[in-house]
Amino acid sequence: MSERQNLMREIAEYDFAIVELNLYLDTHPNDYMAKQRLSDCEHKSRKLRAEYEEKFGPIIFRDSPDTRMMWIKSPWPWDICQEDN
Amino acid sequence: MWVYEKKLQYPIKIKNPNPALAKIISTQYGGSDGELGASLRYLSQRYSMPYPELRAILTDIGTEELAHLEMIGAIIYQLTRNLTPEQIKEAGYDSYFVDHTTGVYPSSASGVPFTAAYIQSKGDVLTDIHEDLAAEQKARTTYDNILRFCDDPDVIDPIRFLREREIVHYQRFGEGLRIATDKLDSKNFYAFNPSFDKRKPNLNK
Repeated sequence: MSERQNLMREIAEYDFAIVELNLYLDTHPNDYMAKQRLSDCEHKSRKLRAEYEEKFGPIIFRDSPDTRMMWIKSPWPWDICQEDN
Repeated sequence: MWVYEKKLQYPIKIKNPNPALAKIISTQYGGSDGELGASLRYLSQRYSMPYPELRAILTDIGTEELAHLEMIGAIIYQLTRNLTPEQIKEAGYDSYFVDHTTGVYPSSASGVPFTAAYIQSKGDVLTDIHEDLAAEQKARTTYDNILRFCDDPDVIDPIRFLREREIVHYQRFGEGLRIATDKLDSKNFYAFNPSFDKRKPNLNK
């Protein structure tokens, strides 16, 4: 796996935990431990996303307005890239 | 509103094309218990939900289903790359190919185009949540059936992830049902429809 894919995988892991904890908190809004873990994961995801966007282009277009071309040209999520072959 | 994130919820990287498998999996794109129906079902039902916890669950699960739709689309796309006409015919993919080439189209494995008849939005909290519980189980069974035909670890891995999500969503909807019934008349959950009836009827009459 390329550096880009490794970083994306790490982001996906934290983002998955965020989705899961958020859903859990919809029905358990007072669970203090879950809230703590959610904010911990959000912090880690934000850091990794900033690193990814700096190196490989935006994940959300508004976050990096200077990288218009990268929004278009960086690999789309369903692409099988050169780096895989 | 929604904002697109240029990433998949779970990475998908399939090395070997397999159009026969793509045809089976495409049922989770536009089939009766697929991800498109799931997202439309939840995102439509949420408007008439009387309780905020249920509005939150339906919005968040409905949004996650859109991410699953994208994952299934990516799987179908990657399973149908670089095919020769011989491979297409051999795999029985010719009947799909003649209509869509290798474009991703929402239909069931047997070729029935997606229809809103697969979903219900009944405007009744108990009815809608029961529909959602059943929908998650139907999708789980479909993924179990898909797994019977998978021998490629690149495909098995994301399909297992999606199967597991159905079970988690079922759990959350179960808790949602409990939240709803806790707010209703415990002697008669059906005394009135909190999604429609403005006032609780006088039960002493």
